[in-house]
Amino acid sequence: MKKEDTVKLISSEGMEFVIDKEAAMVSQTIRNMLTSPGGFAEAEHGVVTFPEINAVILEKICQYFYWSLQYSRGKETEFHIEPELTLELMMAANYLHT
Amino acid sequence: MPVLRSREIPPVPPKPPKARVKVDPPATPTQGREQPATRLSSPHSLTPSPKTAGSVSGSAPSSLRRSLRLSSKGSSNAGDQVGLPEVEKCIGSLNGDVSKKRKLSVDVDGGFESGGSRVLSLRSGEKVTKRSPLGDGDVNGGGGGDEVVESNTKGKSIAESEYIEKSESNNENRKRRFSSEEKGKGKLVVETDLESKDETLVNGSVPDVEVPAEEVKSPDEKPSKRSNRGTNGGRMERFRDTARRNASRFAYFNTQEEEKEEEDNNNLSMEVEREIPSVEEQIEEKVAEDWPGPFSTAMKIIRDRAANLNVRQGSSSSGQVPSVKIKWVPQKGKGKDGSKRLPPSLLDLSLRVLVDNADAIASLDHVPDALRHKLCQMLCDSRRMDSNLLDLLLSGSPTEIRLKECSWLTEDQFIECFEKCDTSNLTVLQLDYCGQSLADYNIPSTLARSPISLPALTTLSLTGAYRLSDAGLSVLVSSAPALRSVNLSQCSFLTHGAIEILASSLASVLLELFVDDCQSIDAMLMLPSLKRLEHLEVLSVAGLESVTDKFIKEFIFARGDGIKELNLSGCGKLTDSSLKIIAEICSILRALDIGNVPKLTDNSFGHLASGCRSLESLKLCRNAFSDDAIAAFLEMSGEVLKELALNNVGKVGHNTALSLARRSRNLVSLDLSWCRNLTDEAMGLIVDSCLSLRVLKLFGCTQITDVFLCGHSNAKVEIIGLKLSPLLEHMKSPVESPLHRTRQRVCHEKKHVLRQTDRRHSFVSYNLPVKVYRESTSNVPKKGMEIFITDVFTTDQKNEPQWPRLCLMLHATALSSSVPRALLNSRRY
Repeated sequence: MKKEDTVKLISSEGMEFVIDKEAAMVSQTIRNMLTSPGGFAEAEHGVVTFPEINAVILEKICQYFYWSLQYSRGKETEFHIEPELTLELMMAANYLHT
Repeated sequence: MPVLRSREIPPVPPKPPKARVKVDPPATPTQGREQPATRLSSPHSLTPSPKTAGSVSGSAPSSLRRSLRLSSKGSSNAGDQVGLPEVEKCIGSLNGDVSKKRKLSVDVDGGFESGGSRVLSLRSGEKVTKRSPLGDGDVNGGGGGDEVVESNTKGKSIAESEYIEKSESNNENRKRRFSSEEKGKGKLVVETDLESKDETLVNGSVPDVEVPAEEVKSPDEKPSKRSNRGTNGGRMERFRDTARRNASRFAYFNTQEEEKEEEDNNNLSMEVEREIPSVEEQIEEKVAEDWPGPFSTAMKIIRDRAANLNVRQGSSSSGQVPSVKIKWVPQKGKGKDGSKRLPPSLLDLSLRVLVDNADAIASLDHVPDALRHKLCQMLCDSRRMDSNLLDLLLSGSPTEIRLKECSWLTEDQFIECFEKCDTSNLTVLQLDYCGQSLADYNIPSTLARSPISLPALTTLSLTGAYRLSDAGLSVLVSSAPALRSVNLSQCSFLTHGAIEILASSLASVLLELFVDDCQSIDAMLMLPSLKRLEHLEVLSVAGLESVTDKFIKEFIFARGDGIKELNLSGCGKLTDSSLKIIAEICSILRALDIGNVPKLTDNSFGHLASGCRSLESLKLCRNAFSDDAIAAFLEMSGEVLKELALNNVGKVGHNTALSLARRSRNLVSLDLSWCRNLTDEAMGLIVDSCLSLRVLKLFGCTQITDVFLCGHSNAKVEIIGLKLSPLLEHMKSPVESPLHRTRQRVCHEKKHVLRQTDRRHSFVSYNLPVKVYRESTSNVPKKGMEIFITDVFTTDQKNEPQWPRLCLMLHATALSSSVPRALLNSRRY
């Protein structure tokens, strides 16, 4: 993965997730952060911080991004969500508009 | 769910009523006169005829029969045992001073010609094709066939002479009709008036009228015949003519109304007599001038468009309305199923899992209201909602509670849950279908624990609270002085006293009032209280049978200039005069629902087009409007329209499709369920042209095939109702209801923090976000934030949901207090 194609998502604990830009774009919020004109720090450095999303949830979200790309390419599988994560995942998903 | 009403009018023209109209075959010379009428019906036993021979009174169907026979008698008298064809033609002329092309008849009459003609053709021979069946005969010299080639001038002169006669006899008609049908036909009369109004209208406006040549005779013959029967009798003929004409159109109506009418005969006749003056004036005006200029021009253009097509196509006596050509070619190679399957969003996925594991939810703190509502909605839909979850919802100091369905809630649970609930911050309380739990005696201990227990409550919805009486409501309302929206639908115990209570305490604040299906509320009795509500913007009286033209007239005169949304669906007594008043006075009307109001004719559209220029949502259901009228309305007002429902408006056809395609740039939601005349091409044209379209409902449109479904090129539209799609998802969620919209505006006015977002309604116009934003994040570096805001706005056009995202983010972050500053600070540069 080239540096230009990736973005880094940082959770509240400081854990960093490096994923493809295409995957991150699944989230409307991240897409807007990265593509909006105006010289945002996020767009410049390719780093987005989420102080209110913890690592477990953020990991699940990254998994969802890749699953979503897979789904739209035709491979329709099931995305399993552990029930314990659901509430926070729901709120994070709402925030990220994904 | 609306109570099923026995007066629900079946869309299909029922045969039975017409069957009752059937007359016996002529066996004797006296009955020979009935021959012409018999062509309308299959031979029946002889017994009914003597019964109905002379008596004027009787039940509706027999009067129908009678009028048919008598009118035929009249005509046959004219010919005096002339051959059948001639007599028929005479009849045709009698009815058919308005005989014109079938298409035009379709426009004006709005009855079920197609059904009728179909019915007719079954029974009688080709003569039928020249006439319309049961006395809608006035409509078609052409009937289904429509191809009796007559000279236009002749037709016109006849039409005019008939017209003059008609207008003369109109007044007499009306009055005589009352006396003759006082026993039961009050409604008939009014309808007659409408019908004659239509006739005169058509007479005035239609240039090409086709009338069988032989009909020239009839006007001359008529007077002689009339004199035969004496002065009264002669008039009776014509009255019965018109009665027959109109009655048949409303035959189905009468059959259901029969018993009812016989009960309150006197009342009806009184009402009707009162209504006469207004209708009379109306007819006068109509006689003087058509619909207001632009609308009639539009109508004319559309009619001519079709008429030209007619002429060009020559004689096509297929009985089908010749359709305007629609050019639309489906896209080839769209691939299976149209667009690629979008992956379900993480939000939906997690909500589903949450619903499945609802019992394991420990806490709903920090969950924003929007998500709570979504969750509740899904839980209620899947019947997994229970009192534990309700406790979770009510914990802390909730701001909004929206339960679209509380039928599972028992009284004890209700008391237990709400006894300890802190309602001081509650702004929205929706407990729909709470009849089982909510009663007068448990309100003081739960919701209205003190006179200030609901200080912030602006929206209250207690539909289906069938045990709530006026007194209970009074207790509730006294604790909630800031109510702006009250939904008391289907609270069958409430009377007009409830409205008085609302008016006395909320006169200056109440904006929305919903009293759908509150059967104990008499509209006229609640009128004085309604007039006291100074700022009422939304009124819904759906299903209230007591809503009459008089009610509308008086209410609109008093408060109509502030009304923004009006729901009059199911108010069966309303006529075009109400629409006229609404159009004249309600200049800022944005939403109108006139479904299931069968008496409305195309005139209503004329009024609407000229009056309500800012109409954004129009809902029709089972109305008898014609294709041309709707098309003309769209030509004039289609640009502003965002939501249009033409559910079961059977005559919708290609003209409407063309107008939709041309004008409805902003249309977001379209309901064309049960519009069987629309073809794949028409649908394709609509969908490809209405670029804002997102939702298209096509229930019952079995004529739509994959040619359309796979061939249309609008990727964003969602088509519901054809294949088995999850239906409940497409029901309006509370977030999108008018309640919500108004609430948003209220928030705007009060500068509250935005709580929910409605993606469909752009907030940019309210400038709300900026205000909210600044107020809630006062200690954030302004520079970064402001830039971010402008960024949001500039990209708003590209990515519509962007703004709502920002809102929610702020809100969510406001809840979890540690977050907001940190997050916002990240935008540094």
